Amino acid sequence: MSRDSGRQADAVSRRKYLLTSAAVGAAGLAGCSGNSGDGSDGSDGGSEGEEGNTMESGSSAPATVTAEGSSTVYPISNKGSSYWNSNSPASDGEYWGSNDESSVAGWDQIDTDQNIADYFASLYGFEATGERSNPPFATRVALSHSGTGCEAVRDGLVDIGNSSGPITAELDISEEERDENYVDHVVGRDGQPVFVSQAIYDAGVEQLTGEQIRGIYQGDITNWSEVGGPDQEIYVVGRAEGSGTDTSFRLNMLGDADAPMDVDTRLGQNQQVQQVLQDNDNAIGYMALAFSGSGIQAIAIDFEGTVYRPDPDAENTIFDSEYPLNRDLHMYTRINEETPEGTDMREAAFLNMFLTEFGQKTFVEDVNYITLPTSDIEAEREKLPEQA
Amino acid sequence: MSLTPQTDWRASIERRLTRTQEFVDDTDPEALAVVLVSMGSLLAAFVGFLLASPWTAVPLGAFLIATGYGWARHQALVARAVTFAMTTVTLVTLGLIVAFIFAESIPAFQYETATVFGVSVPGLGMFTQARWDAVSEPVRYSLLPMIHGTVMVTTIATLVAAPLGVAAALFIAEIAPPQVRELVKPGIEILAGIPSIVYGFIGFTVINPWASGAFDLNGGSTYLFVGMVVGLMALPTVVSVAEDALTSVPDVMKDGSLALGATDWQSMTSITLPAAFSGVSAAVLLGVGRAIGETMAATVMLAGIPRISEPLVNVFYGYETLTSLIARGYGSANGVHESALFAAGVVLFVTVLCLSIGSQYIEARMRRRLGGVE
Repeated sequence: MSRDSGRQADAVSRRKYLLTSAAVGAAGLAGCSGNSGDGSDGSDGGSEGEEGNTMESGSSAPATVTAEGSSTVYPISNKGSSYWNSNSPASDGEYWGSNDESSVAGWDQIDTDQNIADYFASLYGFEATGERSNPPFATRVALSHSGTGCEAVRDGLVDIGNSSGPITAELDISEEERDENYVDHVVGRDGQPVFVSQAIYDAGVEQLTGEQIRGIYQGDITNWSEVGGPDQEIYVVGRAEGSGTDTSFRLNMLGDADAPMDVDTRLGQNQQVQQVLQDNDNAIGYMALAFSGSGIQAIAIDFEGTVYRPDPDAENTIFDSEYPLNRDLHMYTRINEETPEGTDMREAAFLNMFLTEFGQKTFVEDVNYITLPTSDIEAEREKLPEQA
Repeated sequence: MSLTPQTDWRASIERRLTRTQEFVDDTDPEALAVVLVSMGSLLAAFVGFLLASPWTAVPLGAFLIATGYGWARHQALVARAVTFAMTTVTLVTLGLIVAFIFAESIPAFQYETATVFGVSVPGLGMFTQARWDAVSEPVRYSLLPMIHGTVMVTTIATLVAAPLGVAAALFIAEIAPPQVRELVKPGIEILAGIPSIVYGFIGFTVINPWASGAFDLNGGSTYLFVGMVVGLMALPTVVSVAEDALTSVPDVMKDGSLALGATDWQSMTSITLPAAFSGVSAAVLLGVGRAIGETMAATVMLAGIPRISEPLVNVFYGYETLTSLIARGYGSANGVHESALFAAGVVLFVTVLCLSIGSQYIEARMRRRLGGVE
């Protein structure tokens, strides 16, 4: 249902766009026949028409918010988008609002009669539709890679670029350039626990020190017996060279974003890492927490005396923000002439949904990511424009 | 013909001019005008497209209108012009792609400049050392490991696809009874229709884990099994092209052989196969081209670390091929790294070009030797 509504709203905006461009084209033609050789006028008209289309707000339907990027951020972004496009009424109880049977997480802080997208959009001055499956504007999330998402937001192809690594590393830009051109919205945190094959875990390797993992990933330790396991070679699973996951692992674990590595395979996707760890009985790998499953075990890591355990009830856990392998999940927006603050009202309305207790619980924790502490949520909200 | 080359050249130009003149005189001026407008506006649309001009739609519209009008009024002439234009479009597309790949790879070639005998040659560093590391120092972009991987996979794939393919083609064309042929041929064509990711997925989930256990390997990526899988994928190409070549050998040649008392098998090996040799080798070369370009299965099954196996011919390593390098890296690469992926594309392009020219050459030579078979 939500998909249909997205398509519908999309079709509307595309039709509008076609109309606009047709009108511009016709005007251009008229100008051409009347005053031949005056090309500059026509091209100005063209760009104005396009701006008008994306910037319209309030009275007529605004353009779809588009996002693209990292497969790690995708579950959060996509679930948020699906909820948004469904525009469930407050009486739903399961996806939004509350009824006799149930109510959504964090509802006591919201408590409204409006539908989900209507509520968040109206905070930024958009008109509510009041109809299920017809949000004030649609959202659409595409799946690719962190680098692709950053490039897409840089080139203005999408509104929001999802990235699991910092944009400075993805696009190879300085921090000044980042601050000048992008706003970094952190919506959640991803732990990158280290996993081993079940057989290795069963043989007694339940905990490694940071030093040992560094040794394994830099080729100094090649046999499990060196770290208290069985006499078996280690199958070291790395991630695609230069990807967000690879960069942050090098940075957090090996100490430097371009630290050398010596691995046996490099895999592009979390699912592949999961599969390879299940298929082999001597593998070690790291991947997003969301992909833990049977046949593989997350291990505890001892970082300079503090042991971070995969158990949520332990004193220090791999879910803590202090855990060195945790990384921020970013949604970048672009600063340009129309939006000097970097985030326009549509984007702010959508992003703000993730920065509520409801959003953190539903879109971050429920897909196995780590929620932001309250102080971080406050800081993230500061980056959004004033609410209406 | 005692004309000197220069007058010969002039005469040919003159002949051309007169012929054009005659053609223009003979043709309806309106038809000529329509064709000129149509082709001119197509050219203008192309220029507009290259300049990314918002006005591209105008000449394109003019082209459609002129062609539509011409099609109704002067179909034969317009059809000639349109078919010619479409052929040109294909060639221009190829040209643009080649230019783009080469232009994009320039930074990598510049980065990997190496000096030989005091002359610095851009790109030489990709072939004189074997280190590829796009992240940690020293950052180098050697393509040798990937070229090695591609050669390994392609060789093994050819060893699988060529004998199996030619044998299957011979069976279908010469030996099988019609009912069997009707059944086997579509079967092979269906094999060609299976998407390559399906092979790759089976390789990744079934063959790799099995190989890891069966050969006591650390991880299951091997050139051996990737090569075999890719060979199976190239098989349908080899079979159908080779089968066409074998069936196109004229019956009179075989009849002659049989009439002299040769057995079926003798006729096949001494008449049919040699006569169709050019077509059969073209089939194998097409299969090789398919194997070189195969991406999905290699990407999914190989380990993805650019290294050269030791010893060189050890097929129980499976590191990386040129295509899988691009497929694995395109999402996260930027700057020189991205450009180096284009350089891998350039190497692939040049290789496939050489193969294609090679197969054309073999075909031309065989045709000359056999005196115009086919």
